Amino acid sequence: MMLEIIRWVGYGTIAYFAVMQAYLIFLAVVSGTVLRRNHHMSRFGRVSEMLSSNMAPPVSIVIPAYNEAMGIVESVRSMSIVGYPRFEMVVVNDGSTDETLERLIEAFELERVQIPYRPDLETAPIRGIYRGRGTVDITVIDKENAGRADALNAGINVARYPYALCTDADVILDAGCLVNAMQRIVEDREHVVAVGGNIRPLNGSTVELGHLVKASVPKKLVPRMQVLEYVRTFLASRPAWARMGALPLISGAFGVWKRSAVLAVGGFTSGHMGEDMDLTMRMHRYHIDNEIPYRIVYEGAAVIWTEVPENLRVLRRQRIRWHRGLMMAVRDFMPMTFNPRYGSVGMVTWAGMFLFEYLAPIIEFIGWFVVPIAWAVGALDTTAMVMLLAIAFGMGLMNSLVALMLDESYGYFNSAADTSRLVTMAMIENFGFRQITVFWRIRALFGGRKVQGWGNMERRGVANLGARGA
Amino acid sequence: MEANQTAVLIVLIVITIDAVLLASLIILKGIHRRRMLGHEKRRAGYMTLLAHHLTYPDSTEPIGRKTAEDPAFLDAVIDLRNAVAGPEIDTLARIIGRYGMAGAQARRLRSRFPLGRRLRAAVALAEMGDESSAESLMEFLGDREPEVRIQCARGLGRMRWTPAIDAIVDRFNVETPWVRSRFTSTLVGFGPKATWPLIAYIRVNHRFESAGPSAAIRALGVIGDTQAGPPLIEILEEAKDPEIQIAAIEALGAVGGPLALKTLIREFDSDDWRLRAKAATAIGDIGDPLAIPTLAAGLEDTDWWVRRNSAAALTRLPGGQWALYDALASKDRYAQDAAAEALADAGELIAARSREKSGTATARDQALLSHMTPEYSMTGS
Repeated sequence: MMLEIIRWVGYGTIAYFAVMQAYLIFLAVVSGTVLRRNHHMSRFGRVSEMLSSNMAPPVSIVIPAYNEAMGIVESVRSMSIVGYPRFEMVVVNDGSTDETLERLIEAFELERVQIPYRPDLETAPIRGIYRGRGTVDITVIDKENAGRADALNAGINVARYPYALCTDADVILDAGCLVNAMQRIVEDREHVVAVGGNIRPLNGSTVELGHLVKASVPKKLVPRMQVLEYVRTFLASRPAWARMGALPLISGAFGVWKRSAVLAVGGFTSGHMGEDMDLTMRMHRYHIDNEIPYRIVYEGAAVIWTEVPENLRVLRRQRIRWHRGLMMAVRDFMPMTFNPRYGSVGMVTWAGMFLFEYLAPIIEFIGWFVVPIAWAVGALDTTAMVMLLAIAFGMGLMNSLVALMLDESYGYFNSAADTSRLVTMAMIENFGFRQITVFWRIRALFGGRKVQGWGNMERRGVANLGARGA
Repeated sequence: MEANQTAVLIVLIVITIDAVLLASLIILKGIHRRRMLGHEKRRAGYMTLLAHHLTYPDSTEPIGRKTAEDPAFLDAVIDLRNAVAGPEIDTLARIIGRYGMAGAQARRLRSRFPLGRRLRAAVALAEMGDESSAESLMEFLGDREPEVRIQCARGLGRMRWTPAIDAIVDRFNVETPWVRSRFTSTLVGFGPKATWPLIAYIRVNHRFESAGPSAAIRALGVIGDTQAGPPLIEILEEAKDPEIQIAAIEALGAVGGPLALKTLIREFDSDDWRLRAKAATAIGDIGDPLAIPTLAAGLEDTDWWVRRNSAAALTRLPGGQWALYDALASKDRYAQDAAAEALADAGELIAARSREKSGTATARDQALLSHMTPEYSMTGS
């Protein structure tokens, strides 16, 4: 009887792996068609001409900062030459305990000003608002510490323009990034409420004066593995979800939001570990519930570079936090899962999130640890074992290779060595790395719903990435 | 089939697909690299060849039909077309005509090629600006692909093909806001020739919809033809839709003139704060010091945006800064704030600080400096 149960658990796991990989390959194929069209548009569409005219809607760039004294000035300077006709910078100092505010005051000739603070979104108390007197149109809000979501809400309260680009203090925006993202809004200004971008790891690349000079695959294994993950996620999944009108997440590192829509749903949720996913899903729910036509889109040509963890210790912390954020979101939006009222959001994306992200660690844990044991004790035959490996490894590799092919059109990694490193990663990631991440996500299941402020990511800062990185 | 055979078959299928994908990736990488490097190398060579022809228009240096069909040559022609002026454009046009380059791109546009190639052809035609392709561009103004339509309009705008003005304006009612806004930018390229077709379109449509007419009004503003002033005033007075009113106010600011100024000053009595705020900025655009008393009164408006825009406009008017310094002594605390902010933004604060350091600060400097260090309060109207 026991052997029979183990056998069926084994077969169930194999079926799960097959369906999951088929789902991912389906997404990758759809993404390919979407990216191809977008690629033509960004290559030949000459959108920059129109965006350099007065037709381009102005944008507020909102940058929350907590203890970013090391690189905040270079980051703001780098973003201030983003290449867009009309924008302002809103930096929110979320009660930093280092010299973040002082550095900003000194570098941008900030003056404390009396401008009306309309708390459209509730936030922790504001200590002061500063305006730059130099060449950069910058406003700095100094507030009490309450986490990233609260800081973003304060920034949105002060933002003057109808669109807010919510980003991080440690990212590098690619040339044309904002133009490409705003292109999607200008195309359909009436309906587009948010645009997500293509985030790529910065580690290993060459940065000079806050700008990316040459993109390269990092030499260290941990960030290199993440390069492959990011390529898979941002090129082989998100474009397809967006095409279906069901993008479940606009990553915190880069998201352009229609300010009025953010206010309508109540802004970012303070204390949420996945505030970006939470806001995206609330946007979907709000518009569908109120029968308001809307679009949340993805733009692959809006490229943003960010540092990723360089060692397993930091990566573990990040992944546990991410999975807890996902768990909170899955629980919060459970009524939308498999709910036809929410169309492709409920039936495809959120169902996929529930099945292949939320449940994945549990089922994969069984797959990686229980099935081999079952095979060893004779509960599962060799055929089943071989099938599990073929599907898990082979189809996983398939998905990665399709993603790398899609990445070719961007031409960031020109050298054959970079591509071969990524292909090698795609082949070996199933032998250890994947199992480790499964284990971390299992750990996340037992962490409770702790309120989280800022993730503790160890960074070198944009300013310190002058030479070739990891 | 036995279970073992099934397993082997599945494994083989998966391995085969992986191998095919891997091979495709390697081939794709190779093709991209070769194409990119080869293309750039040939393009550089063609630039030299074309530069020779532009310098010596009677040169007998052969170009060759094969060369003329090379996409790298097309790119080189486009690059030069955007870089040269005067008689060199004529020489380039002769080369384009001699080798039928515009005709070849028009045929591509007419073909069933995938989007990428058709779009490339439309962009090439727009960039070359060869008048022989005007008819084709007119034909494809109604193409199924929005970006192709946009590029056709752009090309017609670049060559200032006036028969296209009416055709472009006629499409305003059937286009999406995005295409319409791009068409509007194109019309700006025609200059004052587009003024009356645009006015005719606005007059007919502004009562029924707002997006198209407001885009057209903004185009009038960018063209800046003074003939558009009176019709814009008429449209502003007739319009009920705030979007159209705001666009008309902005356009009047760009067009300028005494009539426009008088109308904008009148808009300061509007009940709608958005119109008052826009009028303040538009008056600043005109830059006539006659408006100083109106803008000074705007500093005491009930709305923050009107106060802010009035103050910013005053910094742009000759003598406007004195009105701002006067406002620092106003009884209205919000007027003081708006004036101080605008003065600081105009660089007066930094100048006042520097004079204070050197001991030459005036009473006005002292007034500004004392205003910028108040007890901070998080309030506002």
